[in-house]
Amino acid sequence: MFEIGRLCLKIAGRDAGLKCIVIDKLNDNYVLIDGQTRRRKCNVKHLEPLDNVLKVKKGINHEDVVKELKKQGIEVKEKVKRSKKAMPKIEEKPAIKKEIEKKEEKLKLKKERLVKLKKKKVVKKAEAEPKKTPAKKAKAKPKAKKTT
Amino acid sequence: MPAGRHKSRSMRRVYTKLPGNKVVIHYKKRKPSKAECAVCGAPLHGVPRERPYKMQNMAKTKKRPSRPYGGVLCSKCMRAKLKEKVENV
Repeated sequence: MFEIGRLCLKIAGRDAGLKCIVIDKLNDNYVLIDGQTRRRKCNVKHLEPLDNVLKVKKGINHEDVVKELKKQGIEVKEKVKRSKKAMPKIEEKPAIKKEIEKKEEKLKLKKERLVKLKKKKVVKKAEAEPKKTPAKKAKAKPKAKKTT
Repeated sequence: MPAGRHKSRSMRRVYTKLPGNKVVIHYKKRKPSKAECAVCGAPLHGVPRERPYKMQNMAKTKKRPSRPYGGVLCSKCMRAKLKEKVENV
């Protein structure tokens, strides 16, 4: 009944109501199906055999299955995966663009403030250092004499 | 003694244990009836029996099985209906 190429209706699970072809026979109870449904193994109890049997090779590709089904007048809708490419571009949304520009300006101002603060610290250190350095040298020399 | 408004059994009684080991009765509204198949009247699996305020916060996938006629028909009736459709075409 469920020979290779048999057109079937899936009657269980989330693919129920969709048409498929038997691609391979795994054992007495299970077959491999493909078509409008996902390509997967399936219990024979979850399939309703239809009248047509297509001339198809064992383990045929999904693309070829789609072509064969199209000849029978059955269209297969491919699910489009959600990806970043499918999302609308930022340039197309003016509100988002403005927000991004504002954030960038804020970051620039922050960076400028940090640079100014660093400069101030460097100047303060430079003013404080020349007084300390000679004192250190003076302390270091007598220590060396004691050790010898 | 229960308060006068709690004497009728329209509210369900929930016994809760407090941190001080004291058992008190909380009065809560009753749950709605079980979801049934529109054709044969069998109780539907995978449809929670909760009040609307809880159902609102649930995901759509948790409220009914994700198959055609999920949450309306039982699986047997759904299969019969799909077969019928194909035969008629």
